Amino acid sequence: MATRQLLLGIGNSGRADDGLGWAFAEAFSGQTDLFAVELRYQLQIEDALLISTYQRVVIVDASVTVYDQGYSWSRCQPRRTDAFTTHQLAPATVVYLAQELYQCTPEVYVLAISGVDWELRTGLSPTAERNLAKARAFFGEKWEGDRNRKSEVGSRK
Amino acid sequence: MKKKITIDPVTRVEGHGRVTIHLDAHGKVEDTFFHIVEFRGFERFIQGHPYWEAPVLVQRLCGICPVSHHLAAAKAIDQLVGIDPAALSPAASKLRRLLHYGQIFQSHALHFFYLASPDLLFGMDAPAAKRNVLAVAIENKDLARKGILMRKFGQEIIHAIAGKRIHGVAAVPGGMYKTFTPEERAYFLDGKDIPNIQTMITWTQEVLTLLRGYHEKDRNLFDTFARFPSGHLGMVDDRGNLELYHGRLRAIDSTGNITLPDVPTDDYQQYFSEAVERWSYMKFPYLKAVGRERGWNRVGPLARLNVCTAIPTPLAEQERQAFFAFSGQPVNNSTLYSHWARLIEMLHCAEMIQDLLHDEEMMSTDLVREGTPRLEGIGIIEAPRGTLTHHYQVDERGMITRCNLIVSTTHNNEAMNRAVRWVADQVISEQGTLTDGMLNQVEVAIRAYDPCLSCATQALGQMPLRVELWNHQGKVIDERRKNGY
Repeated sequence: MATRQLLLGIGNSGRADDGLGWAFAEAFSGQTDLFAVELRYQLQIEDALLISTYQRVVIVDASVTVYDQGYSWSRCQPRRTDAFTTHQLAPATVVYLAQELYQCTPEVYVLAISGVDWELRTGLSPTAERNLAKARAFFGEKWEGDRNRKSEVGSRK
Repeated sequence: MKKKITIDPVTRVEGHGRVTIHLDAHGKVEDTFFHIVEFRGFERFIQGHPYWEAPVLVQRLCGICPVSHHLAAAKAIDQLVGIDPAALSPAASKLRRLLHYGQIFQSHALHFFYLASPDLLFGMDAPAAKRNVLAVAIENKDLARKGILMRKFGQEIIHAIAGKRIHGVAAVPGGMYKTFTPEERAYFLDGKDIPNIQTMITWTQEVLTLLRGYHEKDRNLFDTFARFPSGHLGMVDDRGNLELYHGRLRAIDSTGNITLPDVPTDDYQQYFSEAVERWSYMKFPYLKAVGRERGWNRVGPLARLNVCTAIPTPLAEQERQAFFAFSGQPVNNSTLYSHWARLIEMLHCAEMIQDLLHDEEMMSTDLVREGTPRLEGIGIIEAPRGTLTHHYQVDERGMITRCNLIVSTTHNNEAMNRAVRWVADQVISEQGTLTDGMLNQVEVAIRAYDPCLSCATQALGQMPLRVELWNHQGKVIDERRKNGY
């Protein structure tokens, strides 16, 4: 049985490299039945309900931080954060809400891809394109690796 | 020396605004202003675009009520292709209504649960850390779960018809792009994937009961807080009933006298004018016949309930009657009653959605009509926040040459400024100190109007916040800062 997994792309393709999250997630849309794909401008309260229905969630977003390898991969733990606005929530807060409201704590990761251009235009900068390719390669390897490990475990049983 | 208090930005509203309160040397309020400091300029940069782009482009001015702008523009563009509302195919007309009711339902749910409920549940003087939807979610889990699903229901209606929850495309000149499928209808009726429409009606009634309880417990607060006389404007049908998609414009004064007698929406220019002030980008519409000083009107749920004769769905009509029986006034001028009125409209929308979901005509493929092109089109609807006007003129090639938008919140500009003044006079004036609770009361008054100041998603970065209290010598004696201000 396929694992219930979600790729959640965050961003805005009308703001240049802020479209990284969508570009990453859209590349996987329809390619596999292992991942559902959703796009958001920002995370909001109701996304706690969304992620609570999945076992594993990968949140993909652009980042202003310049990572040496072009992206960052980290596990997201539930944590309440107090920010100026609740119009956009931190991933950790959404996971926290899923836990509080639905008693669900999916395995959530954040894939942050470095961007450099945030102006009002469509299309990624060359730097963002390179980082996107690196992130895709990383994720593809990781995903294949995870799938192979599960197959091995399955065949041993 | 005089002092100036600044609240920047106003929170839990759509978009960004600032309040300044000017005190004299004795701490007495001299003047107050609710500034709208963002400028978008859609009226200008839509010029030169082909008319059929308008419903797609203009909806981008908002991330909460894009459907309202999409539909108001669509109604105007229909006229440019020679199709008045009555000439639209029945299926297209009903699909637009379903989309509209879904939008109002989700927008009202967003406002009540996400923006307004912290003030009601925890009180206006609650600590700032508690005055947000996160605290609501943690301390009132059942309410939060229902709020999320109620908003989701409306959003799913939008998604089914427009393809996306935000900035989808549904209307085309003279009709609609796609019909409604039996599978889509079943999704909203069978309750398998999401709670069904009957559940939405039941939950809305429960929330109405909850809110009424707050009114009963603290009647004086709800009756008197930011109460002031004003005109009220809204759309009604041929019988004077509440109408949200297409009807006639009616306005009354603060005691119920008619100031705009059910006029056709196409004639709006004969009756309305707009004033400007140097301290705000938002204009001040008013009825020409009454004048700038007294001709301004509140719009939105409270105004609509005040102007209509009845609501044409049974459960919402019962609630409307209970609303006026409770307040004991034929016209309600109390700002905080807006929340109650908003929930009654949610119930009305849910009832309308239920009716439409059982309407076989929704499945028809007769979606687009053609007529004789014209050079001018006007579309007016009742958006969640009030009367929304889109007006376009085009040249012979169909390129837009003029655009006039009167956004709902614009009508409420004067009312929100009066509400701010009321709180400043009653709560802040001559107190000598400045507390979070006092400032929040200013915001509570604005928030009741659910203003959409501009699309918050277009703002860059974290919004800084600074509030200062100045003494009579011009020195800052109290200050609060957030987010690196």
